[in-house]
Amino acid sequence: MASCADIGSAMFFGGEGDYDFSNDNLDAAYHIDESKIHLFTVPSDEDTIHGLFLGDFSQLENDTIIYYLHGNGPSMDGFWSTVAVLANLGEQHRYGVVMYDYRGYGKSTGNTQNAATMAADYDAVLKWMEDRGLTSDRMVVMANSLGSLPAGPAAAGGSRITVEKLIMEVPQSSADVIIQNATGLSLPSSMITEYNFDLGQNMEDYPGELLWMHAQEDKVAPVETARGAMRRHTGSYYREEVYPDVGHGLRWDIGNDEWTRVIHEFILH
Amino acid sequence: MKKIIWGFLVGIVASCTPTKIVVPLEEGKVQVGATLGRPQINTGSLPLLGIYAAKGVSASTTAYGSAQLSSALFGAIQLDGGVVKGIRPSQGFTPGFSYSYGGNLFVSSRDFATRIYPEAGANMYWQKGPHILNISANSWVDPTWFLAEYGRGQILAPSFGAGYRLRYKWLEFQAEYKIVNPTREIQVPQAFVPSTLGLGGRGFYWGAALNF
Repeated sequence: MASCADIGSAMFFGGEGDYDFSNDNLDAAYHIDESKIHLFTVPSDEDTIHGLFLGDFSQLENDTIIYYLHGNGPSMDGFWSTVAVLANLGEQHRYGVVMYDYRGYGKSTGNTQNAATMAADYDAVLKWMEDRGLTSDRMVVMANSLGSLPAGPAAAGGSRITVEKLIMEVPQSSADVIIQNATGLSLPSSMITEYNFDLGQNMEDYPGELLWMHAQEDKVAPVETARGAMRRHTGSYYREEVYPDVGHGLRWDIGNDEWTRVIHEFILH
Repeated sequence: MKKIIWGFLVGIVASCTPTKIVVPLEEGKVQVGATLGRPQINTGSLPLLGIYAAKGVSASTTAYGSAQLSSALFGAIQLDGGVVKGIRPSQGFTPGFSYSYGGNLFVSSRDFATRIYPEAGANMYWQKGPHILNISANSWVDPTWFLAEYGRGQILAPSFGAGYRLRYKWLEFQAEYKIVNPTREIQVPQAFVPSTLGLGGRGFYWGAALNF
């Protein structure tokens, strides 16, 4: 049975990526100068991870950087407009933003399989930033949906640069919850996968600041269990924003004004 | 395809195994069969294979045991067993009744986590020669509901089904439609789980068996 299939791989919807990051599809308020759009690659184990950095390289040495872990879309392409908004929080080109594709997403090679591959990819990109001068006090980790899986363990002590500010946007809660919500039974996730992530435990172990944003009508990451996981946080600062009558696509549903207001307030806190 | 694989989750949803025996077998008769479950997810479904054996231990009591092969592919040993007892046979338009009880065992091959879920059910059926129509209700009991995270456990996981069986000499064919877990919303990330009137999940089941 050791070679049995692992449904964990079915959680990951990696696909093709064009990486055509242009301003054509962006609202003018969120345009990014072409000189500030940088594609890069880093090795992660035997695979190659493709990443995107928005900003000037000097920002990695002396300014705040948002490390964005994207959700379960095929590639970074689907999150281009999101990181463009983040880069322009408060004023144009205010923040540097880094995003990457997990293994098997976009042009990144290999396949995302479990906590180990997620952690390795997170660390590979973080090392790229560390080598260019990023320090803990200037890093904000923002995780959207699937991105919460590598963000949780990283915040709980698994990050080479300590996470002091964490934004969890529509996060999952645990692997056990997924199988239990799907079956209605008290089954543990080990029945179908070795990827036993537990964001509630991660939040208990995370001493830094947390902003949790969620949608009341979220069908992908149910709010009740996400709330249970996020409220286990016992770190230095906690803020939650739960929006009624909206779904998993939170930014699109609540609008950029509200979305950026809450995030920027948290960063400046 | 990956989204359809998630259908496996729905496939092991409570009470999502097919009703194997509706009308008790004759005493001494043995039935060996295979079942194909198609719990629906998105616009497709995943074939879930199972095998079972049953024996008429008396004129009104049949014992059965089965294994879900698809669960084994993903690392879960899923076995169930029980008995079906006839209350009264069908006569003309007057339906017959039977009831069942048993248990379901899940063991993870990864960490040997184990769960046992007793179940009980009732069948109303009409039998005319080789043709059997049935309406069935069943519920699993989760004695470890408190182990579900964040208070999401439930003690009872009911299902309702309607089916047709052709039991002819040494051969039996089965078809069944089931509504599973109508007391809660079945949630699978980034997938749509079709329901009947907004209740739980749903699936189609087929079976074929040999009688000895």
